[in-house]
Amino acid sequence: MTNFNWLLDGSIVGLYLLVTMAAGLYVRKYVGKVDDFLVAGREMNVYLGIASLAATEFGIVTCMYTAEAGYKYGFAGATPGIAMALSMLVIGYTGFCIKPLRDSGVITIPQLIEKQFGPRIRWAAGVVIVLGGLLNMGVFLRIGGQFLVKIVGLQVTSFELWGYQIGYLETIMTVLLIGVATYTILGGMLSVLITDFLQFVVMSAGLIAVTLLILIYVGWDKLVATVEANYGAGGFNPFVNPDLGWEYVLFQVLLNFAAVLTWQTTIARVLAAKDSKTGQNIYVRTSFFFVCRFLIPGIWGIAALATLGQVTNTLDAMPTFLSTFVPVGLMGLCVAAMLAADMSTDSSYMLTWGSVIYNDIMAPLRKKEWSEKKGILINRMIVALIGVFLLFYGLWYPLEGDVWTYLGITGTIYLASISVLLISSCYWSGANSWGAAASIILAAAIPVAFLVLEKTPATRDLAKSIGPYYSGIAAYVASALAMIVFSLLKPRKGGEV
Amino acid sequence: MKYFWLVLTLTAVGWYILVTAYVSYKGVADIKEMLRSLAAKNRSG
Repeated sequence: MTNFNWLLDGSIVGLYLLVTMAAGLYVRKYVGKVDDFLVAGREMNVYLGIASLAATEFGIVTCMYTAEAGYKYGFAGATPGIAMALSMLVIGYTGFCIKPLRDSGVITIPQLIEKQFGPRIRWAAGVVIVLGGLLNMGVFLRIGGQFLVKIVGLQVTSFELWGYQIGYLETIMTVLLIGVATYTILGGMLSVLITDFLQFVVMSAGLIAVTLLILIYVGWDKLVATVEANYGAGGFNPFVNPDLGWEYVLFQVLLNFAAVLTWQTTIARVLAAKDSKTGQNIYVRTSFFFVCRFLIPGIWGIAALATLGQVTNTLDAMPTFLSTFVPVGLMGLCVAAMLAADMSTDSSYMLTWGSVIYNDIMAPLRKKEWSEKKGILINRMIVALIGVFLLFYGLWYPLEGDVWTYLGITGTIYLASISVLLISSCYWSGANSWGAAASIILAAAIPVAFLVLEKTPATRDLAKSIGPYYSGIAAYVASALAMIVFSLLKPRKGGEV
Repeated sequence: MKYFWLVLTLTAVGWYILVTAYVSYKGVADIKEMLRSLAAKNRSG
């Protein structure tokens, strides 16, 4: 049973979708150059940047895994949010890497990396970024669909069309993806920024309303008592939680620092800013949002634990709780907010990974310069193909294992090496292509090896004894050491670095 | 630690309400300025 009313709540959701699509399509006429399509002509100012960064980095998948962290670990599950906020504040305040990156006028990180390490490393970095990014994004649609099906209470899972059984989850997400892809393909970053702004407003209104409802009707005392009863002191302090510990905290610090520095969808806001000062301001002023990003859904997860008790599928606990807790009318706002969160994330991610394919994988291989018109056409085709990939990988390929481990591993393949390459290219003139290649190979090999150990029955116990946090820390440390050792090992010719 | 999370939660909710209101208001001006600037670029060729 759910409180979702198709007439009232459905109308609210429909109105939101209509306004978003209209706004996204309206601005396509302003796209004149590849720069307009990929970085909005670098005309983005601070407040639009804050809205866009917040909307991009909060999708349904974010809400689901952060709520699950609250459900499974209590308040201690919000630790990654604190790590990310502090990382963003420090990097934004000091301009560490992001100032030279924005001042260089590049569109993507590998473009800057090429200046120090050469075109082959740029190409390899582009491949690693796209591979990590697309595999990471591959699960977004399915998780988003699961949330929506659960919260609107679709009891029947499929319907018949021309003799075929079609799943509701697949249908909902396919229609949603086509809508997002349409305005992203036509308007590029301009459409993404305008719709991000609308989506930030709707998303925030829904998140705040549901959180206030929980604090009023479930109550702070009950939330604290639930965490204490289920997890004791470990529910408040990650260092004493038997499932987390110092290795979890250290891994989160490394992961989130690297993500703030090099996750292309995040850094795209700095690159689209008017100048490096605006980019730094966006980071400083958005940093605390990342505490909210983990803590607010975390409280939803704790409220689900307080209301439902222990359930088998911890990922479904939060939407199951919301489906009966949020009243009619507000449910429409809640669903629109989650749709807004998901659409802003999907559009940004499609455009961003597309920009790396265009700028760092395809462009270096071309024989002669492409015209602006051809460049925009190729970018549009890439975004469309990414949409097709997402449909088949995300919707028709079932995910095994838990979401956070999957996201952490696919993210680390990319983050561990690219963060080391970016820092080296900004601040160490002695770094060279040997170090960069070794860094990329080791950073990818360690998480992939851990994944193989985990999936192989004979070595599953060994993988469990190592754990994902030690494996993740090893990837970052090995990547940095490889850069230093192999850069020093490379023989130097006259004047070469 | 309980008080740490209480203070952080109240700060997060309060901050989020204020930032949403302020960014919603100021963001409209940013959008207008961005579109005006791009339109001027298009007009100038």
